[in-house]
Amino acid sequence: MEEGTQLQVSIDKLPIKRLESIEENGIERFPSDVDYDEKRLSLIRRIDFAWAVEKDDEEKNKKQKKASKEASTPWQWQSMVENLQLAHQELSVIIDLINTVEANDAVTVASMTRPKLLPNEALSDLAVSAATKLQCYRHVGKYFKQSAKAFERQVAREARFYGALIRLQQNWKVKRQRQAAIAPGSEGFTFDLFDTSYDQGTIYRSSSMSTVRVNHDTAGMLAINISPNSCHTLQFGFVGAESEERRGTSDKHESDLSDEHHTEETDKKPLNDEECVKKTHSLLREVHKAIFNEQVFDLVNREAFNTSTGVTVTGIRENYLQLSLGQGTAVYLSLVSSDQDHSAVEGESNNDVENAIVPLESSDEMECDAKLNTRKKEGQFYHSTCYEIYIQQIFHDYIFGSGSEKSVSSGSRLSGAQAKDGSGLLGHFFMSLAHRIFSTKVLTELENVACKVPYLQLISNPTWNSRASSWTLFMEVPQSIIRTSDFNEKNASKRQFWTKVSVNDDCINVKAEGSPNVSGLFKGKAEETHTINRYDCNIADLAVVILQQVASQIINWLYQEALMVGIKVNRDFLSLCFELEQGETLCLNANVDPEDIEGCISWWLVMEDSFAEEQKLQMNMNINDGASEYKKFLGHLSLELLYATLMDLVGLCCGGGGGGGGGH
Amino acid sequence: MNKGGPVGGGGLGVGGSGPTAAAAAAAAQKQKTLLQRVEGDIANIVDNFSHLVNVARVNDPPVRNSQESFMMEMRAARMVQAADSLLKLVSELKQTAIFSGFASLNDHVEQRRVEFSELGEKTDRLLSRIGEEAAASLKELETHYSSSAQKNLQNLKP
Repeated sequence: MEEGTQLQVSIDKLPIKRLESIEENGIERFPSDVDYDEKRLSLIRRIDFAWAVEKDDEEKNKKQKKASKEASTPWQWQSMVENLQLAHQELSVIIDLINTVEANDAVTVASMTRPKLLPNEALSDLAVSAATKLQCYRHVGKYFKQSAKAFERQVAREARFYGALIRLQQNWKVKRQRQAAIAPGSEGFTFDLFDTSYDQGTIYRSSSMSTVRVNHDTAGMLAINISPNSCHTLQFGFVGAESEERRGTSDKHESDLSDEHHTEETDKKPLNDEECVKKTHSLLREVHKAIFNEQVFDLVNREAFNTSTGVTVTGIRENYLQLSLGQGTAVYLSLVSSDQDHSAVEGESNNDVENAIVPLESSDEMECDAKLNTRKKEGQFYHSTCYEIYIQQIFHDYIFGSGSEKSVSSGSRLSGAQAKDGSGLLGHFFMSLAHRIFSTKVLTELENVACKVPYLQLISNPTWNSRASSWTLFMEVPQSIIRTSDFNEKNASKRQFWTKVSVNDDCINVKAEGSPNVSGLFKGKAEETHTINRYDCNIADLAVVILQQVASQIINWLYQEALMVGIKVNRDFLSLCFELEQGETLCLNANVDPEDIEGCISWWLVMEDSFAEEQKLQMNMNINDGASEYKKFLGHLSLELLYATLMDLVGLCCGGGGGGGGGH
Repeated sequence: MNKGGPVGGGGLGVGGSGPTAAAAAAAAQKQKTLLQRVEGDIANIVDNFSHLVNVARVNDPPVRNSQESFMMEMRAARMVQAADSLLKLVSELKQTAIFSGFASLNDHVEQRRVEFSELGEKTDRLLSRIGEEAAASLKELETHYSSSAQKNLQNLKP
């Protein structure tokens, strides 16, 4: 019992039979024996539960009073709490009953039957079950939603990845590694950038960049990791002009680096799929080019030691090869990574972009201000970029083959044997390089001559051949000298004279029109009216040979003009002689001197007779003495003045008289 | 044996015109396997979903409800697993398409080759045109230079 509860004691009657009734006839009637079950039931009924009920009533009254006081804030679980408390009390009563029954041997539990549920209790049980099941379904539904979101993300990731991969596969070879050592999260895809056109048997440097692993970035998109140091570019240059070359090429590498920096900055911004694919494509192309550059370097490295190429290896380092072409020309070929080039540029200039432009302008200024003697040395350094492209083109055609047999602007047309033989390529390249350097020197000489002789015009004849160059020195009789009687083409004297200079490799060939060809005159063809003189010469004698040819052409022209007017003249290579009366001859002689600043071709008038020759032999006169009465220095005459001089001499011959023979 | 267009590794052409009959048979077998997987996964999903729906009835004994809740979780997990299997199948199909789509790849490569050939020819023509223009400009400039040199020298002469 709980404390505070009044203790009540009930006293049972003594278990003796008491007379229940007595009849008139004296028969005693005793109460019947109580059945065991009935006896037990009576004992159970004697248990008084009133105290519990009263207690409940008191508590209810109290709670009602509290509820009335706190009517403004009802708690939603209050009813449930009350129900639970009631259930707890009932359970405690039952537990007490069970304990009492267990303690009391006279009373045992016969059976237990669940009381029939009341409708509301049944419905509440059903509601609880339904709520539980609903909760299960909601849990399952939440699980399905989470899974669906995860699947959607995975599908989107895979769609992006495989979409990009399929698009890149259209241009690049995709391989898959099915090995177990694949990193988690990666399907083992790789890009194989090594071209099958490369000759496997001759490749020494197996490029580690040829296999590019395909990874996923944080967004699940396709990504490739390429170190910028691993991509090398081919650099060709002349030893001694490294600073100019590096500045000249710095702008190209600056543009590449600026693109790289730009992409690095934009990496932080989310790229859409299109940009991502383009960026990956660009990176793969950079690696592809780097592999090709490595192959070119390897081929050059291998062929450079072949003596038939005509070059000598003078320096070799890692990714660097220095070659000597002879005559003081040395070139280098190197593989430069973008970082090395960038650091070299930074070491030379502070502001990369602006200073990248300035050297080009300064080089233009150098071109404008360069004298002919200094241009000889600097001209060879201006074409290193084109040589770089040229050597790449040569080996590209060798490795991959040209796309079509026809090459419209083939500057590198090779013979069939050379095209198929790699060893001849390097020789061809360096011979082209040597030819370019040599032809620059030849051009300098020709420009020197053309500059000093005003009636000579230098015309370049593009050959579109890397080992052949051609120029024409053209001389035309001025229009003012043309006579009206020369309108008839057949009888007109030749008015245009040319001298053609061809350079094949390092051989100079001079071809010029010479004296008129008799048979050609009868044929009437312009190209066959004159003989063609052909000379092979070296560069030291080139200027003299050219000037002699030009002077002889002038002599021929004057000779023809004299014949046209009916004067009998004699012609030598550089001399035109008029016969005067009394056995005297008046000669117009040409003197060529390439070093003459005022003009390379000067003219002398020489009077020769029997007395003059004897005196000349005796006195051993200096031919350059203009004050001699037998020689007269006329100077550097133009064509008009020469023609006028000729007419004067013709008049002298016609008019006769020794007074004019002195030619004063 | 070949059902419709080539699926999976069946990029060898219709009608067994591929390199070998064994390859065609292997492709057909792989196609059959993939279809079985697809059907199995979908049947799995449908079966588990139907069980989920059938378990919706509320039973009197609460114990059975607990049992059914565990079963529902199990069925849901199986459904998700089947869906994941289907997704992996799709990934495999995509990978197979990448490595077996020779027809489209060849067509595209041929198309690109033609494009690049045209681009190469166009570049060659452009280079030749540039060369011709450069030669013409050079000739013109040489003519101008010659005429200007003559003028300078004539001015210098008295």
